[in-house]
Amino acid sequence: MNTKRFGFAGVLAAFALAVSTLVAPSASANTQIVVWADESRGPNLTKVIAAKGDWVPGFTVKVVTFSSFDALKDAFDKATDASGPDIVVGGNDWVPTGAKSGKLAPLTLTAAVKARFNQTQFVDLTYKGKLYGVPVDINNVAMIYNTKLVSTAPKTFGEMVSNYKSLKASKGLKAGLCIAGGGMSWGAHSVFSALGADAYQFNSRGGIVYGRAFNATTFGKNVRTYLMDGKKSNGFFPATDTGCKDNFLAGTVPYAVIGNWEWADYVAKGFTMNLMPVPGVVDGTYGKMFGSVSGALLTTFAAKHGVESAAKSLLTNFFASTDGQVRYQAFEKRPPAEKGAQADATVSAAQRGFGSAASLAGIPQIGAFLNSNKGGANYWDSAPAYWTAVLIDGKDAVKEASKLASIWRTNTDGGRGDL
Amino acid sequence: MTGKNMTYLIRGKVAFVIKVIFVTLIASILLLLAQSAFAQREYVISGFLAISVLLLALTYLSKISIPLKFFIPGILLLTAFVIGPILYTVTMSGFNYKTGNIISKEEAIVQIKVRAIEAAPSGLSFDVKLGRYDGEPAILASDINTSEYFISTLDARIPLVASSVTLNEFGVAVEAPNFAPLNDSEFATADKEFTGTRFAFDDQYFIALEGFEAGVVSQQVLEFIPEKDQFKNLLTGAIYTDNGRGNYALAEDKGVILEPGWRAPIWFENYVNIVSDPRVREPLIRVFIWTVAFAFLTVLTTFALGLLLALALNKPIRGRRIYRSILVLPYAMPSVMSILIWGGMFNTEFGAINTLLGTDIAWFSDPNFARVAVILVNLWLGFPYFYLISSGSLQAIPSELMEAAAIDGANPRQIFRKITLPLLLQILSPLLIASFAFNFNNFNLIFLLTGGGPRNELDGEIAGATDILISYTYKIAFGSGTQDLGLASAISLIIFILVASISLYSLRKSKVLETFA
Repeated sequence: MNTKRFGFAGVLAAFALAVSTLVAPSASANTQIVVWADESRGPNLTKVIAAKGDWVPGFTVKVVTFSSFDALKDAFDKATDASGPDIVVGGNDWVPTGAKSGKLAPLTLTAAVKARFNQTQFVDLTYKGKLYGVPVDINNVAMIYNTKLVSTAPKTFGEMVSNYKSLKASKGLKAGLCIAGGGMSWGAHSVFSALGADAYQFNSRGGIVYGRAFNATTFGKNVRTYLMDGKKSNGFFPATDTGCKDNFLAGTVPYAVIGNWEWADYVAKGFTMNLMPVPGVVDGTYGKMFGSVSGALLTTFAAKHGVESAAKSLLTNFFASTDGQVRYQAFEKRPPAEKGAQADATVSAAQRGFGSAASLAGIPQIGAFLNSNKGGANYWDSAPAYWTAVLIDGKDAVKEASKLASIWRTNTDGGRGDL
Repeated sequence: MTGKNMTYLIRGKVAFVIKVIFVTLIASILLLLAQSAFAQREYVISGFLAISVLLLALTYLSKISIPLKFFIPGILLLTAFVIGPILYTVTMSGFNYKTGNIISKEEAIVQIKVRAIEAAPSGLSFDVKLGRYDGEPAILASDINTSEYFISTLDARIPLVASSVTLNEFGVAVEAPNFAPLNDSEFATADKEFTGTRFAFDDQYFIALEGFEAGVVSQQVLEFIPEKDQFKNLLTGAIYTDNGRGNYALAEDKGVILEPGWRAPIWFENYVNIVSDPRVREPLIRVFIWTVAFAFLTVLTTFALGLLLALALNKPIRGRRIYRSILVLPYAMPSVMSILIWGGMFNTEFGAINTLLGTDIAWFSDPNFARVAVILVNLWLGFPYFYLISSGSLQAIPSELMEAAAIDGANPRQIFRKITLPLLLQILSPLLIASFAFNFNNFNLIFLLTGGGPRNELDGEIAGATDILISYTYKIAFGSGTQDLGLASAISLIIFILVASISLYSLRKSKVLETFA
């Protein structure tokens, strides 16, 4: 055989072999529901679903775990029809952008299912009047105090500052109150609110008040009184959360705002879960903290994968059920969102403590207002910017508060259409 | 075995068979990927992969061109990972492509139709059992509050007497006359058949499934009219038409739109916004000035320090090898680690720098200090590179030139200024230009060290003090609020043109390319 024939035969053989690798796509129906979750929820969901596999008859559930919450968000933003999940366990602040961009699908829950939850929780997962998921667990923060430094629960913000000043030298305190969980925007809202600055205003019936912001002068003066020493910070409240958790655990900070996902770390170090909201400047008042929910969100990919009804069944049979939430939270250790699960005896004291703090001073986290940039910056950027401007850069607390109030008011008014 | 200046490891039929196997393996993988891309409706990618397979087979299994055997992998990879993304970026820069306008128009219409189904104001819902009634898809519905039971098909609602149905422990009907419930194994195929089906309720409403166990009384609010490319609100009569920007908008009020939208061509509007919209133009100008300054200062400082060290170690001193090894260490460490460590060292309260200096500088809160920090860290990261190339270049300069100049009476400073430096610059100018271009787009450093900040959000600043064009573009594309990929693509193209122009001009000015002519 000469080389030419060999070459021709070689080409034919190569293509025959290559074409033979083409596999015709299977025509059988899809019986798998794919759920995406982060590095904490994913493994716990896998354990629960593996233990009881028949949440949706005729279907299996595959849980895909991502290395972090950010990695999960990034992957979901880039997901395509073929690769995307049917359900994603994500943050409630994903709902506006996900719904806007056609990645999340609306669902309608029956009255019986809705009655199992606190109705304000659905606000977090609603965009333009449509619901996009079911509440899974509650995210909130509460304040904890180190009983070795301060023996009783503080009644006012001023009491905390006085305690700090009196103990600072003798105990070598690095700060008085710091934000260990939730960051200087979400977690720190309880401090903003305790001093008089709420992200949005409520009327006596619990409805949102538009066209109004917090009183910047009152808030600014409170900041000057309790957090400043002249033009400089008095050290009570650091402008960043760096090192807060370590310092509190080391006993150099008497009060800390912690998240309900990390209470086990404090219990392991011997701290009592004396959880409470941050006290306000007046006895009997408290700083409001965001009581947001994480949601199991229905995606538009479910319909394309031919499992839309199955995914909806999983949402109601597992994620929104007492049984499902009790089993899941036994591993996840966060306060469950479903009422029956909250009342379950297996819910820990810490989870109850967070729930109790939330019931005293929790407000819904309304993404439409907090994510809005209509005021020039959204809540997430403007809130920590205030602390930096006043506590680090030494700018005037009242003047900067006026700017903040204007931004938050404009954002609330601008985000109204997205509710 | 050798022949005609070439050395063959394997020849003949064995070599041919190995080549065919290798090409076939590659072709198989590429065709598999092409088929997967086709299944996901990525036709351009699928077509490119298929053409690549043909080109590879033709190149390696025929004698069409020997040089092509060496170039074809590089050409294909260049096309896939450089030319392709550039073309895509250029295309997207002419689109309204942002949060709310991501998907295609066809997909947007499907999504709007799904959202056009709304629950009845009564909120009425039923527990349902899926099955068939006289061979047709049907649901057996139960209202456990009122003990109402009925079968609903596509066309009719058949009331049932309570005594005729079998109830489970929750009072939900599970069996009824002439109704054949689906068993578990039939649910998989049932999803596609039953989902989206409208089961009869009354003249105004139908029952839509919300899972396999619940049905909600619903109505259709919007109707799509394909001939007119419009949506009509069936309750109010309002008409929504394509506004040409990727949304169906209310005819009377273009601000009222249906969501989701789709990515729509807006041609040069993004470029016009860059110039005409002050919210885009003003931060962009400020960021551009800082980017040029940052890239220039980086090259200047790193080159200066690298050259200084190269000159210092160009003499035979004791321990020179050890010094050289130590100086190269910053270059050997992963830059990500170095940047993060430096970030910690610059921390205002706990950082090593403030502790050592006994100061309280807010390095990342003050714009000027943040810029200084960025330059200092980049100096640390970049000087070993210039030290190495300067060392090598100094060796390449003939020593006779310096000796001759010394004999003619020139002092060391004059020798450096008139002989060494010009020759060095001639050798190193392409590398200096490349370093400028690299640092013009040094995203890693800015993102990891300062995140582009500080930024005064309370004063409405959009770009941070240390944001360079690429990090600013990244924020526009992937920021926490609205992600504007179309505008980011337009700015990316402008960055590309700027860097290419500056680089070409510099190369021309330095006459380096003439050396290759």
